[in-house]
Amino acid sequence: MTRRTATRPLLAGVLVLIAVLAAGCGVRPSGVITGSPALRGPSIGVGLYLVRDGEITLVVRPAKTRPSPDEVIGLLAAGPDEYERSLGFTSEVPADLAPASVGPVADRSGLGVTLSGPVGTLSATAVDQIVCTLGSAGIGDSSTPVTLHGSDGDRQSQVCPRF
Amino acid sequence: MNPPGWAGGRTSGLRVRLLLAFALLGVTTTAVVASGSYFQARRVILQQAQDAAVVSLTDQLAKAYPLRQLPPTQDELDTMAQLLSDRDEEVIVYYHDMRAQNGLALDPLTSELRQSVRDGRVAWQRVSIDGQPVLLIGTQLMLDQPDGTPRPSGLEVYAVRSLIPEQQSIERLATLAWGTGGLSLVLAVLLALVAAGGVLRPVRELGRAAHRLGEGDLTTRLVVRGTDELADVARTFNNTAERLERQVGELRRMESDARRFVADVSHELRTPLAAMTAVTDVLDEEADRLPGDAGRAARLVSQETHNLTRLVEDLIEVSRFDSGTARLALDDVDVAAAVTATLRVRGWTDRVRADLPPGVMARLDPRRLDVIVANLVGNALRHGAPAVTVRLAAEPHWFTVEVRDHGPGLDPEVLPHVFDRFYKADTARTRSEGSGLGLAIAWENARLHRYAGQRGSLVAGNAPTGGAVFTLRLPRAAEAMRAGGVR
Repeated sequence: MTRRTATRPLLAGVLVLIAVLAAGCGVRPSGVITGSPALRGPSIGVGLYLVRDGEITLVVRPAKTRPSPDEVIGLLAAGPDEYERSLGFTSEVPADLAPASVGPVADRSGLGVTLSGPVGTLSATAVDQIVCTLGSAGIGDSSTPVTLHGSDGDRQSQVCPRF
Repeated sequence: MNPPGWAGGRTSGLRVRLLLAFALLGVTTTAVVASGSYFQARRVILQQAQDAAVVSLTDQLAKAYPLRQLPPTQDELDTMAQLLSDRDEEVIVYYHDMRAQNGLALDPLTSELRQSVRDGRVAWQRVSIDGQPVLLIGTQLMLDQPDGTPRPSGLEVYAVRSLIPEQQSIERLATLAWGTGGLSLVLAVLLALVAAGGVLRPVRELGRAAHRLGEGDLTTRLVVRGTDELADVARTFNNTAERLERQVGELRRMESDARRFVADVSHELRTPLAAMTAVTDVLDEEADRLPGDAGRAARLVSQETHNLTRLVEDLIEVSRFDSGTARLALDDVDVAAAVTATLRVRGWTDRVRADLPPGVMARLDPRRLDVIVANLVGNALRHGAPAVTVRLAAEPHWFTVEVRDHGPGLDPEVLPHVFDRFYKADTARTRSEGSGLGLAIAWENARLHRYAGQRGSLVAGNAPTGGAVFTLRLPRAAEAMRAGGVR
């Protein structure tokens, strides 16, 4: 009697084992497995930061020659083209900011951008667009502070936010 | 006859238990090993397939660089998806809300995969689409900026690759594992049978030997094989049997010595007794003429000498039974006539009611029949109360003679010992007329007659209405075989 009661759970265990084995066969769905960081590569053209869904977003426009920083600010002030607009791109940089001139600040600790319009009324997004586009154009780098000089005064040391 | 307990086919028998234990062990071991290696192999197969697919996709994607225009047109997206797709995998390209896909009816991508891709990692996931295993791999295309930091381009590329070839390899593995399991089960069962045979054969032999020993064959011995516990048991069994045989032999020798001694003594007494009898016969005749006490003494001596003679005769008779030298002197006899003659010779015809149907013929030893009947009737007359009846009944091969009295019957305590030698039912009746051997001799005489392997019998009992009943059963054609025989 005791032997029988001891055999029963053992038998059940073996059956469960076989059931598990039978059920665990084949290729099972898995969770998400993450690997290395995403692929990265170069682009050819002018990189501009426009706004899409409230966030600054990189666009690349084909260009035969590399434009100067002044020209890049001009392109930015011109805003998205028709196709970009159709995809929902906007810009918060007002058109009257161009023409602009870009040069190092006096103590060489950063970059100074002299704009045609007022900078005090610029939105934070617009400032980010200008700063990040300059970085993308290869003037300074993302950690270089940029000072905006406008018709109404200066806007201090901005860096392109990481995202 | 089959020794009890050694018939096969018991479900709880050793064989079944061993079989179960071995099978369980085999199956468990194989299950653990096979499933372990199966899972390991499956993991490796899938991992290699996934890694290869990821490497292949990233290699392909390197061709998409450098990017020339963002946002791309739908045409550019479609072209890109087409270029990246090949025989093994379909590619889906996303640019924010734009989407290009090649030949896929529905979107298999999961939201958690897309989230991981948006977070900037190469990510993959196995899903099941319509019951078929599919590997999804996704990555974003980042753009290197002059300042060295990558910026998301908004382009996401997903590859959809079927895992059916891998599934087939894994299924082959599983089939192999099941096959191995089955084979090991068969092997375990075979091993169990061999092991059970090895254990059970000596046990069965031991059982058979013990049974034979129990039946009385004291020469039974086991062959001792090996040095294991079973061999120890066999050795112990042999020692026990040997000791038993020796002691029983000793007892038998002592018993036969005692019997021979009795026989010798009886024989030695016969000659002087014969002389004494002759003398006491003379004394007996003269007793009447002897005065007073001398005459009584002479009669007493004569009487006791006769008793002694009868005792010695009975002892000699019993010795013959014991030594196996008693022989039947067979003759064809009318049983009714023989019984009537016995009663008449002893003068009991008037005192006994005889129911003897004529014509019952039997081949037997008439002297022994006479001894038995005389003893039974004599006892009934002496110890029982009238009326004493003798009844003869015939069967095809046997006949019975029933001697019955109407006294108080036999005490139930006495009944089993009635045929014992010198057994006295009534302890107060110390020195009676009989030698104390009469019923024992009658019993031996009955047993001396045999027919078809059966012996004649003499049984004592009580009638339901009171009175002792002795039933003699003898064959009608006793076999003239070696009498006395092995006891």
